[in-house]
Amino acid sequence: MKNPRNPKLQVDIGGLALKNPVMTASGTFGYGEEYSRYIDLNRLGAIIVKGVSLERREGNPPQRIMETPCGMLNSIGLENVGVRSFIDDKIPFLKKFNVPVIVNIFGETAPEYRKVAEILSDVEGVHGLEVNISCPNVEKGGVAFGADPDMAYEITRDVKSVTDLPVIVKLTPNITDIAEIAESVESGGADAISLINTLKGMSVDIEKRVPHLKNITGGLSGPAVKPVALRMVWEVVNRVSVPVIGVGGIMDAADAVEFLIVGARAVQVGTANFVNPRATMDILEGIEDYLIDHDISDINELIGMLKKG
Amino acid sequence: MLHKNSMMSGRIISNREIAKDHFLMSLKVSSAESSFQEASPGQFVMLRVKGRKFPFLGRPLSIYSIYPDDGGFIVELLYRVVGEGTYVISRLKPDEEMYIMGPLGRGFDISPDHSCVILIAGGIGIAPLSFLCEHYRRCAAGRPQKIICYAGVQRSNLLVGLERMEEICSGVRISTDDGSRGYHGLVTELFKNDLSSYGHRDSIIYACGPSAMLKGLAGILKDQSVSCQVSVEERMACGVGACLGCAVRVKSGYKRVCRDGPVFDIHEIVWD
Ligand SMILES: Cc1cc2nc3c(=O)[nH]c(=O)nc-3n(C[C@H](O)[C@H](O)[C@H](O)COP(=O)(O)OP(=O)(O)OC[C@H]3O[C@@H](n4cnc5c(N)ncnc54)[C@H](O)[C@@H]3O)c2cc1C
Ligand SMILES: Cc1cc2nc3c(=O)[nH]c(=O)nc-3n(C[C@H](O)[C@H](O)[C@H](O)COP(=O)(O)O)c2cc1C
Ligand code: FES
Repeated sequence: MKNPRNPKLQVDIGGLALKNPVMTASGTFGYGEEYSRYIDLNRLGAIIVKGVSLERREGNPPQRIMETPCGMLNSIGLENVGVRSFIDDKIPFLKKFNVPVIVNIFGETAPEYRKVAEILSDVEGVHGLEVNISCPNVEKGGVAFGADPDMAYEITRDVKSVTDLPVIVKLTPNITDIAEIAESVESGGADAISLINTLKGMSVDIEKRVPHLKNITGGLSGPAVKPVALRMVWEVVNRVSVPVIGVGGIMDAADAVEFLIVGARAVQVGTANFVNPRATMDILEGIEDYLIDHDISDINELIGMLKKG
Repeated sequence: MLHKNSMMSGRIISNREIAKDHFLMSLKVSSAESSFQEASPGQFVMLRVKGRKFPFLGRPLSIYSIYPDDGGFIVELLYRVVGEGTYVISRLKPDEEMYIMGPLGRGFDISPDHSCVILIAGGIGIAPLSFLCEHYRRCAAGRPQKIICYAGVQRSNLLVGLERMEEICSGVRISTDDGSRGYHGLVTELFKNDLSSYGHRDSIIYACGPSAMLKGLAGILKDQSVSCQVSVEERMACGVGACLGCAVRVKSGYKRVCRDGPVFDIHEIVWD
């Protein structure tokens, strides 16, 4: 069929049927409410909310943000209201929309991850979990869970053991072999894998000779990280069979299509929301136009169709 | 409610240097239904240059003035060039387009209970206070009996935005760091000298300026009962409360300057 009018955009992410592959990246879209006056939340493939921990966390002292060439550094420090307040104060608003809500969770210890997952599993209005294993492991002395294949495996298995919700595990790029970690979380039972979280970076004020960020280091995001994210998604899709969600520097539809071609089943839009609050909608519409222009009637026919150069 | 127009294009009407490194920009926002209808003093906009990759993030600027114009609005911004972002903005010419998002944040809490309003501006901090002053001029009903403005700058040739203050305020007191005009010293000292002459119950203070100035003011008002609201600054990414980047320390933890502020009670903030 030439020029299919309404190409099919539905994708399946580990048992979660999404109406389209455009989601919001955790930490860049608040709890949904913040952007609800700019876009119709119902049109999103899914909303991934700010990372939630067992107890409320205050986060890092300011300055927390620094613009860098084609991107930004942040050191928010996982500030969040805690899982109970999240359920009481944030879920009721999100439930008004016809959009899957995926809760990004993290803990300082393995039992904490399990506990947060357990609490959220019984909550109406929560459709999936995204496990952020990129934060420091206090038990192990500052090494991220996501940097250790065994820890990554264990956390995934633990979370899976206490929930029936689809579990997405989100990987950090701050490691040597991302495919190895991806294989571990797959064998731990992950229903899907998302990548990448931010790249660890730093920036210095040369007049004052101090780091711009009070926390000294921060996470780099935005267009600057896209090639790294794309390469990592490509490495991971070649090694695992669970769906992969591409994240990192996606600013427009062309960026998103790159990730889909490489093999990502869906994408998350992060820093782009800050630059353009309608970024997700522009990306969604742009993907649709791309499919129409290229006579593709179902987005799944595009996913993973990277040719050899 | 969904505001299709919250991220709008603004066409530059003028963008001129009114004092060294200080610019006044007028932007025309063409939609009459825009969110700007509800703009109130102390609110800000996020400004981004169209068609350029740099600056990457929007830059927050307080609304200096806003008025309806031919089916849309004119938004005026008063800004100082301090870095690359504001430099790029200062080079833009009439008819060029910008993305303008807003109005954002919670502005000044304007209570009709105070008969005496005291404005304290440090440098470019005059911008939101000038809009507040304009607001008083427009609202015939609840205009305070007395509006006194304190404006402090480094040198007299950096005094900007005073015309409107002079028209509306009962008194304008000036301080300069180098003594080139008015009181020789800090604007907070100038204010402190007058503090005892104001009735604490019927007066309210609105202040905006560098954080060192606001911190100084907090020290002066530490044991005073007079109400004081300050507009504070922090680096921003989203401007809408989503990223938690613009944290300011308050007694209960952190708050977001862009959403919970930029205006706060001076006593709520932890000035370290
Ligand atoms: C709510 C709000 C309202 C504001 N209103 C105005 C206004 O009306 N007029 C005006 O001139 N400026 C205003 N500012 C400050 C303005 O946003 C910054 O000066 C601007 O973002 C600097 O960008 P830059 O790229 O030129 O500077 P950069 O290169 O990013 O920084 C240059 C220098 O400016 C300092 N700086 C940068 N951003 C900020 C910031 N947000 N707050 C304080 N210092 C900063 C840096 O520490 C550095 O020393 C406001 C800020 C906020 C948060
Ligand atoms: C301000 C900010 C806060 C973030 N908070 C979280 C978080 O709480 N949990 C998480 O898994 N990722 C978090 N991230 C990472 C993003 O979800 C995303 O993985 C990363 O920014 C790369 O995508 P981008 O370049 O499109 O922003 C955050 C990113 C930013 C910029
Ligand atoms: S700038 Fe993002 S929360 Fe304030």
